Formats: sequence, structure tokens, C-alpha cells
Amino acid sequence: MVTRRQFEILTGLITGAFGIAVIVSSIQVGSGWSSAGVESGTFPLLAGVLILGGSIVNLARAFVDPPALALRADELRRVALLFLPALAFVAAIPFAGLYVASVFYLLWALSVQRRMPYWRSGLIALVTVLTLYWLFEQAFEVELPHGWLGAALGF
Amino acid sequence: MENNVSELMQGFAIALTLPHLGLMVVGVLIGILVGVLPGLGAPNGVSLLLPLTFGMQPVSAIILLSSMYWGALFGGSVTSILFNIPGEPSSVATTFDGYPMARDGRATTALATAFGSAAFGALSGVVLITLLASWVASVALQFGPAEYFAVYFLAFSSFIGMGGARPSKTVVSLAIGFALAAVGIDTVSGNVRLTMGVDELVKGVSFVVAVMGLFGIGELMIAVEDEMKVKGVNSKVEWREVVRTIVHLPRHGWALLRSAAIGCWMGITPGGPTAASFMSYAIARRVSPRRDNFGRGEQEGIIAPETADHAAGTSALLPMLSLGIPGSATAAVMMGGLMIWGLNPGPMLFIEQKDFVWGLIASMYLGNVVSLVLVLLTVPIFAAMMRVPFFIIAPLIFIVITVGAYSVSNSYLDVLLMMGFGVLGFLFKKLDYPVAPLVLAMVIGDKAEDAFRQSMLLSNGSLGIFFSNGLVSTVMALGFAFLLLPLIARLWSRRRTALGRA
Repeated sequence: MVTRRQFEILTGLITGAFGIAVIVSSIQVGSGWSSAGVESGTFPLLAGVLILGGSIVNLARAFVDPPALALRADELRRVALLFLPALAFVAAIPFAGLYVASVFYLLWALSVQRRMPYWRSGLIALVTVLTLYWLFEQAFEVELPHGWLGAALGF
Repeated sequence: MENNVSELMQGFAIALTLPHLGLMVVGVLIGILVGVLPGLGAPNGVSLLLPLTFGMQPVSAIILLSSMYWGALFGGSVTSILFNIPGEPSSVATTFDGYPMARDGRATTALATAFGSAAFGALSGVVLITLLASWVASVALQFGPAEYFAVYFLAFSSFIGMGGARPSKTVVSLAIGFALAAVGIDTVSGNVRLTMGVDELVKGVSFVVAVMGLFGIGELMIAVEDEMKVKGVNSKVEWREVVRTIVHLPRHGWALLRSAAIGCWMGITPGGPTAASFMSYAIARRVSPRRDNFGRGEQEGIIAPETADHAAGTSALLPMLSLGIPGSATAAVMMGGLMIWGLNPGPMLFIEQKDFVWGLIASMYLGNVVSLVLVLLTVPIFAAMMRVPFFIIAPLIFIVITVGAYSVSNSYLDVLLMMGFGVLGFLFKKLDYPVAPLVLAMVIGDKAEDAFRQSMLLSNGSLGIFFSNGLVSTVMALGFAFLLLPLIARLWSRRRTALGRA
């Protein structure tokens, strides 16, 4: 279970931290008026100040607003069940390559998580990978990442 | 005016060729698919297709992308009406009356009403562009950097003033977009900035990657939250009923005109189609003679949001073409495409790229007709597609978005950024942060900054240049007025409640 307040605080902290990073970085570049005109850090500095200021207001409002529920426990579970395998898939790309990672991701999402028979999920995975290969590497000549595994196997 | 007509005819000569008609059909079909599938919307659909257009002629590329946009706008209404699931955020308001009507066994009437009013809305938008775009561009040709900055300022402050979200949230979203636009090499001085020590970020953060994460992953995570149970109604289309409904549509002439006007206004000022459809529905519910019937399958409850949605979607291209300021998130992505293809969006297009501009405008007339026909023909097919369970569609969409993010510049870092934007998009959507300002600021942030810095060079560092003549002062003053709008509105309502109590 997640309340709206917790979400507001999390988001406010993320945006606020980003704002601080932008401010620090723009001051390093240099901001203000110089003989060459407006310095490169000026606009980003302004943006950073706006981000930080807005985030502080949003954080403050999070404590004032009446509490509300953002995600029920079962909704949170479903979001996690979608997001975590997806994250693992993205993390696996540099090692296994996009094609192999896609196959395992689909097998996992369809058959392990949803009990689909393996022959069906396998078929879906195969069709997906072949379509991607044909569309990108053949039709549009974009090489998708083959990963460490692909390199080891000589692709 | 005659000049516009002859230019438009020239445009039709470009758009009415076999390859371009083919691109329209392909674009519209992909668009309907994108519009129908939850988790894939027009902005990220257009971004997914964008890398594939890099080798094309700009006219052909924009015809493909804009046709896809029309298809997506139409497709979003199909699922709203048949399944009570809005395929696009801008068709949420269509569910209010569209689904009850379809549930009562009048699915064909609901669909035909939606498509008919959508086509009317789109047509009003295109006519507006035909009549006004080149005039606006000719005015904008007189603009110096200060005037440009003032217009950008007006666009951004109208988001804050009229966007409807909490102003502090709009500001955060806008400013994040600005900061992201600044990452990489500063085009004026050549300095590297905001890379936070990551060398690969010197090339900047691509708005395409941001859109894919913010809209794509964010929407998938929202969609999975309430595991959708598709309870579809009969999706058979009865042609006689389609014709009867469309022939009878002019009876609602007043509602059509009012909704089209709202839509055009919201499209030109960057309010976007989503806000337009909600606003149009709310106004219709207040003023319609059949207001008591709203929410129970009232035809005007479909006409109002659909007309406004499409009018806004279409007219959002007017400021993009003539000023270089996109009126919606999808228009922002298309404008980014224009820059990648080597065109400079803005008034010079009307002089240097006449074929491109008028070819696009002509294709908008044709594309909407093509969409109307194709969407009617394919409703049963796409409705059947909705019966594929979401747990199968979700990982497939995820793979497509990942590949899309990678293919923007063959970079794995982009995939990681896309994931980060996805989490941010999910949080933003949950907490009612507007996402469109972020995308808009990412696309035109650099131009706004350039305009500001050039003005300052001209004035030798004095901010007075933004109030140096009537035009620029008026636009700046309007911008400040929009910024103050939420404050005034709050004071006003407080006073009214105080008066009401007294």
C-alpha cells in the first residue's frame, strides 16, 4: 500500500535533487553576464532554481494535502510484476544481447508469471524476435545489440 | 487568399501521388493500432516511427507521421466507445457517453457520431491552418529575437496559467524540460554543460527517448495497475446506421461549431487535445438543452469531446509550422523530427519549403478522409485485437519501446535513460504532473534560450529590450497575465464563496 503523500515526497525529492544537481553544474560552467554575452550556465541555472523551488512547494503541499491512497497493495504488486522483469530484461541486454534477452523476458512474463503453455509463449517469442530481426537488421539496416554473448559466439 | 488556394492546389499535386497515398494508408493503420492499444499513444508512437524516417524525403516523412497521428486520434475513440478503455488520454471524455450508448446496443451510432464529429473537428482545424498559417508566418517574419522570446514565454506561461494542473507542478515539469534541453554542448559558446560527468551525454538527451519513457513506460505501468477486464460490446458496424447518423449530424450544428471553436483555440494556444476534449465536454454539459441526459449515452456528449479533440490535434500544427512552437506533445515530437530532417520550423518554412508546407496541409485534408474510411472498415479487426489479454501485450510493447529507444542513436545509455523517464512518467501521471510541458520545453528550450541570449547581445545585457516596442511588450504582458491567472482565479472564487456566505 502506498499513499499519495509518500509518492509526492518521493517525486519531490527526485525532482529537488535533480534541481540541485542542475544548479551546481550550471554554477561550475559559469552563469551571468560576461563580455561575450549571457554565459552558458545562466539558463540552466534559472531552470535549476525553478525546479528546486517548485519541488520545495510540492513537498510542502504533500504534508498539507489531505491523505489519500495512491496504490492499493494488489495494484502495487501488479506494477512491480510488470516493472521488475522489464528492468531485468534491460539489464540483461549488454550481456545476452537484445534477442536472447527478449526471448527469456517473454517466456518469463507469459509462462512463469501467467502459466501460459511454453509452446505458445515460445512461439510468440520466436515470432517477435524474427520480426525484429527482419525489420531492423534487414529492412532498415539498424544493428540491434547482440551483447557479450553475441560477441562470444561470433555475431 | 487566392494565393493560398493556388498553393494548396500545388500541395494536393504533391500529396495525391501514389507513394504518398500509400504512406497515408500505412500511417493511418499504424496510428489506429497505436491509438487502440493501451500503453501506446500518439506521442510515443510518432517517436517510435521517427528513427525510421531519417532517410526519407521530409514531405513523405511528415505525411507518414501526421497520418499516423490522425489514425491514433481516431483509434483512441474506438476503444473508448466499445470497451470503456480510452486508448488515448484525449479520448477519456468520449467514454462518458460513448460507452453507455454502445452498451445500450447502439454501438454503431456511437462510433459513427464519434467519427463524424471527429472528421468535422479535424476539418475545421485544417481550414483554419489553410487560411491563417501563411498570414501568421508573414507576421512572424518581422520578429526579432526579443519578439521570439516573448512568444515562447507566452507559450510557456499559458501552460502554467491554463493547463489546469497545480502551477508548482507545471513549473517543475517545464523547468526539467529546459534543463534537459541544455544538456550537452551549448550551441552558442561551445561549452559542455550539465553532463554530470557522463561523457556520452555530450550529445545531449534526446526528446524522443524522453517521450518513449514518459508516455510509453509510464502509461504501461498505469494500465497494468487495474488489470483490465475487457468487457466489449458487439462491435459489428451496420453501414445503413452509419450513413443515417452522419447525415443527421448537422442537427447538432451548434454543438459541433462550439466544440470545434474550443478545440481550435486549445490547439493553437498550447493547451492540447486532452484539455480541449474535457473542457468541451464540461461546457456542453452546462449549456446543452439535453444536459440531463449527459453520462447516460447522450449523442452530444460524444460530439463535444470528439470534435474538440480532433480540432485541437489538427490546429496544434498551426503554431508549429508558422512560429516553430508546437501546440501539443505530439506536435512537439513532429517538430523535433522536422529539425532532424534539416528543416527549420517557423516562418521561413513558408518561403523556403513551400512544397513541404502545402504538401503537408493538403495531406491533412486527405489523411483525415483516409482515416475516417479506414477506421470504419477496420473497427471489427481492431476490436478483436482488444481481446488479446493485456499481460501478453504489455511485454511486447515494452520490447518495442526498448528497441525504439535504442535505435534512436544506437545507444544503450538511451535505453537506461528511457527507463528512468518511465519511472518519472509513472510518478508524474499518478500525481497529476503535466507531462506535455516537459516535452515541449525539451524541444524548444534551446530555441527559447538562443532567442533570449541574442536579445541580450542586441541590448547589451539590458532586460528592457523585452519592453522596447508595442508588440513585444504586449506579448510579454500577456505572458505575465497568464502566469498570474491561477492566483486571480483563486482570489476570485474565494471572494465569490465569501459573497455567497454573506
